[in-house]
Amino acid sequence: MSRPAPSDLKPGARPYRHPGLPEPADKDYAVIGKSKPKIDGREKVTGQARYTADLKFPNMLYGKILTSPHAHARILAIDTSEAEKIPGVKAVITHKDVPSLKYGISPARWDENIFCIDTVKFVGDKVAAVACLDEETCYRALRAIRVEYEVLPAVLDPLHAMDEDAPQIHPEYPRNLNTEIHQDFGDVDGALRKADYVRTDLFIGNRTYQAPLEPHTATSIWQEGKLTVYSSTQSPHYFQYYIAREFGLPMGDVRVIKTYVGGGFGGKLEPTGLEFAGAVLARLTGRPVKMFYDRAEMFAHNRGRHRQYMKLTTGVSAEGRILGVHADFIMDGGAYTSLGIATAYYAGAMLTLTYDFENYRFDMHRVYTNLPACGAQRGHGAPQPRYAFEAHLDNIAKDLGIDPLEIRLRNARKPNTVTPNAFAVNSCEMTACLEQARDLSGWADKKGRLPAGRGIGVATGSFVSGAGYPIYRTDLPHAAAMIKVAEDGTAATLYTGATDIGQGSDTILCQMAAEAMGYTYEQMKIVAADTETTPHDFGAYASRQTLMSGAAVKEAGEEVKKQLLEMAGEMLDLPPEGLDVRLGRIAAKDRPEITLTFEEAARAFFVKKGPLTGRGSYAPPKLGGTFKGAPVGTSPAYSFAAQVSEVQIDEETGEVTVLDVWDVHDCGQVINPALLHAQVHGALYMGMGESIWEEVRFDAQGRILNPTLGEYRIPTALDMPRVHSSIVKSYEPAGPWGVKEVGEGATLPTMGCFRNAIFDAMGVSVNSLPLTPEKVWAALREKRKADGEDIWDPMACECFVE
Amino acid sequence: MFLPDFDYHAPESLAEAIDLLARLGPSARVLAGGTDILVKMKNGLAAPAALVSLKNLHELRRIRWDADRGLVIGALATHNEICHSPVVQERFLSISEAAHKLANNQVRNRGTIGGNLVNAIPSADLPPILITLGASVTLAGADGSRTLPLEAFFTGVSCCALKPAGEILTEVAIPPQATTGSTYLKFGLRRSGALAVVGVAAAVTMEGDLVQDARICLGAVYRTPTRAVQAEKVLIGQRWTDDLLEQAGRTAVGCCLPISDIRGSAEYRRDLVRIYTRRALRRAITQGHG
Amino acid sequence: MQAITDKQGVKRYLIHITVNGDQYSPVIKANTLLVNLLRDGLDLTGTKKGCELGDCGSCTVLMDGKPVDSCLVLALEADGCEIITIEGVARHGELDRLQRAFIDNAAIQCGYCTPGMILSAKALLAGNPHPTEPEVRAAISGNLCRCTGYVNIVKAVLEAAEVKP
Repeated sequence: MSRPAPSDLKPGARPYRHPGLPEPADKDYAVIGKSKPKIDGREKVTGQARYTADLKFPNMLYGKILTSPHAHARILAIDTSEAEKIPGVKAVITHKDVPSLKYGISPARWDENIFCIDTVKFVGDKVAAVACLDEETCYRALRAIRVEYEVLPAVLDPLHAMDEDAPQIHPEYPRNLNTEIHQDFGDVDGALRKADYVRTDLFIGNRTYQAPLEPHTATSIWQEGKLTVYSSTQSPHYFQYYIAREFGLPMGDVRVIKTYVGGGFGGKLEPTGLEFAGAVLARLTGRPVKMFYDRAEMFAHNRGRHRQYMKLTTGVSAEGRILGVHADFIMDGGAYTSLGIATAYYAGAMLTLTYDFENYRFDMHRVYTNLPACGAQRGHGAPQPRYAFEAHLDNIAKDLGIDPLEIRLRNARKPNTVTPNAFAVNSCEMTACLEQARDLSGWADKKGRLPAGRGIGVATGSFVSGAGYPIYRTDLPHAAAMIKVAEDGTAATLYTGATDIGQGSDTILCQMAAEAMGYTYEQMKIVAADTETTPHDFGAYASRQTLMSGAAVKEAGEEVKKQLLEMAGEMLDLPPEGLDVRLGRIAAKDRPEITLTFEEAARAFFVKKGPLTGRGSYAPPKLGGTFKGAPVGTSPAYSFAAQVSEVQIDEETGEVTVLDVWDVHDCGQVINPALLHAQVHGALYMGMGESIWEEVRFDAQGRILNPTLGEYRIPTALDMPRVHSSIVKSYEPAGPWGVKEVGEGATLPTMGCFRNAIFDAMGVSVNSLPLTPEKVWAALREKRKADGEDIWDPMACECFVE
Repeated sequence: MFLPDFDYHAPESLAEAIDLLARLGPSARVLAGGTDILVKMKNGLAAPAALVSLKNLHELRRIRWDADRGLVIGALATHNEICHSPVVQERFLSISEAAHKLANNQVRNRGTIGGNLVNAIPSADLPPILITLGASVTLAGADGSRTLPLEAFFTGVSCCALKPAGEILTEVAIPPQATTGSTYLKFGLRRSGALAVVGVAAAVTMEGDLVQDARICLGAVYRTPTRAVQAEKVLIGQRWTDDLLEQAGRTAVGCCLPISDIRGSAEYRRDLVRIYTRRALRRAITQGHG
Repeated sequence: MQAITDKQGVKRYLIHITVNGDQYSPVIKANTLLVNLLRDGLDLTGTKKGCELGDCGSCTVLMDGKPVDSCLVLALEADGCEIITIEGVARHGELDRLQRAFIDNAAIQCGYCTPGMILSAKALLAGNPHPTEPEVRAAISGNLCRCTGYVNIVKAVLEAAEVKP
């Protein structure tokens, strides 16, 4: 059911007011707002939870994909004959055996094939696949496939990808230009001219990887011409859509089932070779085929965060009010588009949210390189630009002699405003977040007063609560839900396409269903994320499920409640408007002694009228402006966050120890406080890893140097600081009960926050991520040299060895 | 990932193990904890035709104090057994601490001191502290056993003095000594599960403020764990001051040749050698053996 | 150890292993890893594979009471050993206090690290019933978690340590 659109939405129009439901005066909720235990907790602590790799099917085969050892090469010949002779090898396939239709998660640019046809475009590009009796035979078979390559010059440096003489990766996209964006809002040049102070800074991000603990796995089964795929996926719907498209099947003949998923963070949003090659192998052999990536293959498949080169120019008034911003970025996309066009737009779009300014220009070039393709990682394109902007703003604050927290308060976005790029912001407690983070962290006592080597920093972030438009164009609602009450009323099952990949959507959606029905959480069951049995939902990305899937669930629950109270009214001979139900007890509003149980009324309903069910769906209103790229970044609602962190720097080695982080979030009405804070912890953790430790690195041939969890260092329990997560009071009119997102928002401020804390501690700016000890060490040495200190040169000492 | 096929042997005695290794030749490898060899095999960096498991040689697990030979650690003692051993903690807490800095808890429950030494990777955490404490290793082979100083055991990156066919490292002995303090400091890029970017061990013999003797050993900055002899000379016979330790640290930088790699540049490693040598010396001087 | 050799000359060995109190006598190849024996041979899929190189701890099991990465242990090396996997932590359907504490403290998200995490914590509490927070962090530092930032996991272990067994 579409919500009404905000009227007269024009860029810069303000103030405006969202026509959603007003905040209820009485928020005496029975089920939401409470830290209910996770609905799948018991299965997960006992080892009973089955992930895709844990499933076995009769007669099942194992499959693996052969990948390219070269960053860029022409395939001259593929000889599979030796592999086919190995006992236990059941099928070997190459591009000749599969559809040649190009695919990609984003219809803006389909540029991938199931297997490479003419050229391989990165180390790890897919060339062939095998299905065998066991895993071991798969590896032997892959080694026996002979591929003859002509190695081509490769593009490994994104800054030279657009050069005239650079090798061309996709002949149809000249100068390796994947996406070019030029957006201009207001009058940036005029604002910079009028500004009292203008500053330009350049920052460089890092290529990071989601690194979910569970490797990607998919098992494909054909029966009677119909394909079933069990997959470690964030979106059964997009998988179903693209698999059906690739094989020319009606969507009804493709069933995608999500099992338990061991984390996604954006990396499991799009189908991989595992689904496509597995489907072909299963069809050829007539047997179920389980395909999997090992850890190094996961790194090669990638779809992690883009490295961005970010130039920012900002003009401010003498008081530090931001007047105009010009963001000029380049991003390394890797060999394919993946979700990268959206990423490129997100990079600029989300910069306008936390601070209120009217003039904004965004230029972006996303280039192809012969490196693994990048996609959407927690926070999508936004975290690195946010790091850059927060660092840039601290530089400006320092130049102007304004406290970093104060400059943010002066610019903080207010509720019911519209950004220069036409995003309507309803609820917005940016100011309250900053003030609370300031007070909780003891900012006033610490800023400028900490002992040597210690520093404190602040940064902000904001993120969408669901994308305003789906990934491909369709008029389908974004979410739908059904609830079926058991015949005797003692249980109810929620059917939803929403996708729990660990974040807890199954739990909070059951809480929402119970709240809407007047039922208890403990009696709820859930069937989720199976395209055959559950209603459509776009899945877990863009922090959409609490608001969007939740809206559909609320509607379904309310429909159950309405029918139940009508039945109860008949039974009690009272008008249904005079009844209410809460936690399974029906009572007359003005005569509380008249009661009936949910079970009694539900059973009577079934006997007289058949199954008691409820249905709901959700589609956002039309959002955003009309300029090119306007839909990216639109959302019914935005979360806001402020973070303060305190760090200790080893002044000699540059080692950074994060001591405390205070995260204060505006995420609307909270459904499950324990799970909400857990999302903040996790988002902060990922942001922290990217800030200090994580970076995918390559050698001169384009091979990943660190495709392991030993050398791609995500933080351990010993590396984590004390985390203080808190929220501000907030109500979002566009969300059911006033909810909005939390899962990605807390990743955004972290990198800038740490950079600013290091800047505060040592007066040095590290302008590239990650903020490694060595970079801090180098920056400290540069500063000491600049300050005229005599620095001992470790390269110039007497050498006693050879 | 998968392990290629190999033959498996689990001899019941040391003599049988030596005999087997001699018979199987260089294509056989010893299996102790497995935390290195199995990783190498999975990564395609080793493909032994046979693994000779030492799991039945229980006598090689012992850790004991011997009045003549000092602290004797069997080659199959795991890192956690060394870390938690009361006798190690009592005599050389610094060795216990070094064992704790290695890899992660699960690996420390399987990985052995013998494996750590025989692998001979430059960044290994145990060699520096053992070398500064004058440890020796016993190598048993078909011709009987021999003992040599650990310092002489390492011959290059992943190369050691073990004879290619049939020798097994059986024991590490840290002799009774006059040292008054020792320590191992590791600079890693994460607090668990990270290789040393630089590791520095120091052992000192103090008489009041006077440094009677000093030994410094550097890890991860040369093709083998390496003594910083010139830096030791800076200290010996001097009364210690912070300036003296800084001077020793600077001299230690001249005793290594670090490479630049994914974990750090040569320049950074050299400065870390200076800083960590100074800090290790200060800790050994002021805090004894840990 | 009894062994048989097939026509291709590949040897298979009969081992005896106790898993969660149950005795098994599987016949395995030398290159069978403990993690694969548990998952594929005994269908104990609660033990997860995350990296296969001893970096992540997802495959942690207790081998004679000590947490080890079962991806780095040959099944042959576990001959005669007692193994506890996550399936053996709850007794007769009754959750262990650690399992209870993980649920109560929202210490689980995707759940993939959870089995290994609980086993590492169990080994800690067996030897050190009242650990400090740094001791808890050290004990689980070989178990990577990508979801929780460890915040609630540490809280859960500390809470379980305070509850009388």
